[in-house]
Amino acid sequence: MAYVIDLKACINCSLCRRSCPTECITYYRTGHRTHVIQPEGCIDCDICAQVCPVDCITFDKSYVPDPIKLEAAKESARGWARKRRQEQLTAREAAHVVIAGIGAGH
Amino acid sequence: MSKLIETLRNSPSRRNPPYRPLARIDEAEREELKRKIGGVEHYNGQSMRELVLAAPENVELRKAMVSSIMSAEFAGIDAFSRKVVEWQEWDVPESLILAMARQTWDEVRHAQLSKGVLESYGGVVGEYPDTLAGGQGGAGAQTQGQGQEAGGGPMRRRQANGQQVNPQAQATAQAALGEAFMRNPIASLSMTNVSLEGGALTLFKGTSEVGHKVGDDLMELCYDYNWADEVTHVSIGDYFVKQLTEGDPKKERLALMAHARHEMMRGNLSPTQTEELKAFFAEELERADEALVGDGQAAAGGYR
Repeated sequence: MAYVIDLKACINCSLCRRSCPTECITYYRTGHRTHVIQPEGCIDCDICAQVCPVDCITFDKSYVPDPIKLEAAKESARGWARKRRQEQLTAREAAHVVIAGIGAGH
Repeated sequence: MSKLIETLRNSPSRRNPPYRPLARIDEAEREELKRKIGGVEHYNGQSMRELVLAAPENVELRKAMVSSIMSAEFAGIDAFSRKVVEWQEWDVPESLILAMARQTWDEVRHAQLSKGVLESYGGVVGEYPDTLAGGQGGAGAQTQGQGQEAGGGPMRRRQANGQQVNPQAQATAQAALGEAFMRNPIASLSMTNVSLEGGALTLFKGTSEVGHKVGDDLMELCYDYNWADEVTHVSIGDYFVKQLTEGDPKKERLALMAHARHEMMRGNLSPTQTEELKAFFAEELERADEALVGDGQAAAGGYR
């Protein structure tokens, strides 16, 4: 299974592309204004479908993934999640340092 | 009597209190911001959201966060209302002009919503400076302002890396690029309505979520409302870009180029996204070279 974008309904907001943990959604590759999910990178996480503001992302049951590529994509997603988590923690820590500084100023 | 468009071109945006962009505030106000929010470098949507989450009881941080969003809404009113007049000179559908008028009204409502949220904290308009790098309204300025809101922007990233930045030079370069694109309806729509407003979806969703997390119902609801409007704005932009580029690959490439340039300008891209953009720009350069060679050969043929 892999997710697919209904190109007629898509408004090209890029929210799915910015949210995809395997970064398998492209916009500039075809030379047309179309967001396309590269099926070999899709891990069926459903994040793109959940964030889509016009509900134009569904899944293609007929697609059979290559197990090796699927595992590679999942590993890529794990790396993405670790990195994202680290960024969030760093930002949170930095915010607490700023808050402590503001408090000290009073 | 001169045309309205000419009158407007010679009339910079004015409002009361006047634009007071962050890049131009004096030392006393910088110190004041340092005392209230920890420094000017935090005065953008992304950083302010983190600060509000870290200290939900600090109302001053909420005031600053909402003010930073509100100043971009004011710029949006100016940008879209100018389009209503300027685009009447261009070969665009009448319905597009009406859509720009509708968007102007949307931006007014967004500013009103932010003002209401700000006042619920005891804040007032003008208490905090504008987040825009320039001093003028207009589409270029709006692009810079909301770009910073949506993703933190290249300026912030370079500051984070300890590199020197010249905000004025950067603002001038971005404004020049923005102006060039804003003279073309396809590029302007692709850059502002589709790319910029698409990026704003993340800003408003994130701000609404902050409201939910800190138990601020007004913040949560108002920015969820804004988010829904942004979806409509992206839809409007995409609809007209499709209509204006239909059956013309060159125009479609122009729309893509405008979108790509705006994404590069906004920054905050992952390595994979950066690679995709680089490949796109490289292909565009190749196309431009081929077109030049083609023109040269045609010209040479003409002289023979």
